[in-house]
Amino acid sequence: MKRRAFLERTPLVAALAVLTPSMLMAAWNEKDFQKVPLENAFQNVLGTKELVKTDKITIAAPPVAADSSAVPVEVSSSIKGDHLYLFVEKNLTPLVFSCALHAGALPSVALNIKMKESSLLYGVVREGGKCYVASVHVDVSAQAC
Amino acid sequence: MRIFAKEEGGIVSVKIVIPHPNESGTRKDESGKIVPAHFIREGSVQVNGKPLLDIQLGPSVSRDPFMQFRFSGKKGDRLTLRFIDTRNQEFAAEALVN
Repeated sequence: MKRRAFLERTPLVAALAVLTPSMLMAAWNEKDFQKVPLENAFQNVLGTKELVKTDKITIAAPPVAADSSAVPVEVSSSIKGDHLYLFVEKNLTPLVFSCALHAGALPSVALNIKMKESSLLYGVVREGGKCYVASVHVDVSAQAC
Repeated sequence: MRIFAKEEGGIVSVKIVIPHPNESGTRKDESGKIVPAHFIREGSVQVNGKPLLDIQLGPSVSRDPFMQFRFSGKKGDRLTLRFIDTRNQEFAAEALVN
């Protein structure tokens, strides 16, 4: 009975969460996190699809992920960029994170991520107006999302 | 939120864990209903009151987000972290670098 009541209330709660405006969330860029193909995500997030391939970005990830609900990925770069990004081509929302680096921050971010299926991962560093990219492939042996 | 910050050779490595369901909004529960999206989507880190990094996160981050980053710093630096989820709940913590 309780569960029924909860289920019926859930849409209302969800609606309220969507409708409540907040100063705190103003910075979150919804456009960046749309469910679009990778090319469109590059365009939305980076403002360009012209990315320069480089071996100066390292993406450390397991070649085969047994648990696709928590794949450890680290993006680091010897290019001292001002922004760091991670994209997963086959996820519904390709952009995983965008990170603005300020004085002192090293271009290195590690995060556990969800993967819908086997996919290429793209690490992008922005330095001034230029975007550099490197990619690795991760095989997913069991699905989670 | 748990924070581990350790300095070695002028580089501080920071590890953080935020206990959170981090639902992407695309997962179905056992009755087949979509579990509403509820994930951490923004975070900022300051060192000694100065901005270090600002991160925006999408729905692809795992449950109980685990994150690592590095910066040029020293023992005793004060880290201030603030994260916000899609329901505007705030997660904040402070830590000193070891």
